[in-house]
Amino acid sequence: MSEQVHNRLAMVRAERKVSRQELAEAVGAHYQTVGYIERGQYNPSLDLALRIAKYFGLPVEALFSLEPFQPLTEEVYGGKQ
Amino acid sequence: MTTDHLTRYDRAMVRLMNRGEGRTLYASARRRRVVVAAHVALTAALGGLMTYLYLAQREQWWLLVPMVPLLLAWMFLTGVINSATRGLLELRERALDERQLTDRARVGALAHRAMTLLLLAAVAVLLCAGAVLGAAPTAYAAPLLIAVLVTHWLMPLWVAGTTARDEPEDDLPHV
Repeated sequence: MSEQVHNRLAMVRAERKVSRQELAEAVGAHYQTVGYIERGQYNPSLDLALRIAKYFGLPVEALFSLEPFQPLTEEVYGGKQ
Repeated sequence: MTTDHLTRYDRAMVRLMNRGEGRTLYASARRRRVVVAAHVALTAALGGLMTYLYLAQREQWWLLVPMVPLLLAWMFLTGVINSATRGLLELRERALDERQLTDRARVGALAHRAMTLLLLAAVAVLLCAGAVLGAAPTAYAAPLLIAVLVTHWLMPLWVAGTTARDEPEDDLPHV
């Protein structure tokens, strides 16, 4: 049983200019764990997902989803022109 | 994993296990496999020498001389494997995060399975040898027992080194 959880952690982290190490220390995880979550090689527990979401001040569903995320431009500006 | 409850020893070990000096030695899965294979070979060589010393009719203490560099190389490679796994088996549980604890449990389960197969093979070989020779080779019982103990002790390290994943790509250049 390994449901793929999609995330946009790398994008949000880049946008906020937060390093893996900084995020890892803030949420009590190893920096490799953050990297593996970004690569989709590890699905965080609900506890860790909530801590990451809290760190960025975002709802957890803005960072993690069972469905693939749409490109941000598509979400903001709608479908293709 | 929160660092508040870690002792000074835990923090020192976490720093030690996360040093990046030897990163090139275990940067890829192939290199990690080579390191583990070399570690297994060195363990076998050291075990072989000790067995020979134990079984030799005459005292051959000069054999301790080649054991020194072998032991030093073995210690170095143990450190490389521990670095490759970021101390997965060396650090205390409270110094590991949830993903590392999951990895440690998986490594323990895999090592247990591998050891079970190895012990089954060893028992089969001993029984076959006993059937062919008429009696089990009792002279090898003590070295075999020690070999099993050492393998049991080191199997998790070998499994952890072999199954360790690649380091995440370089972090973003501007952060």
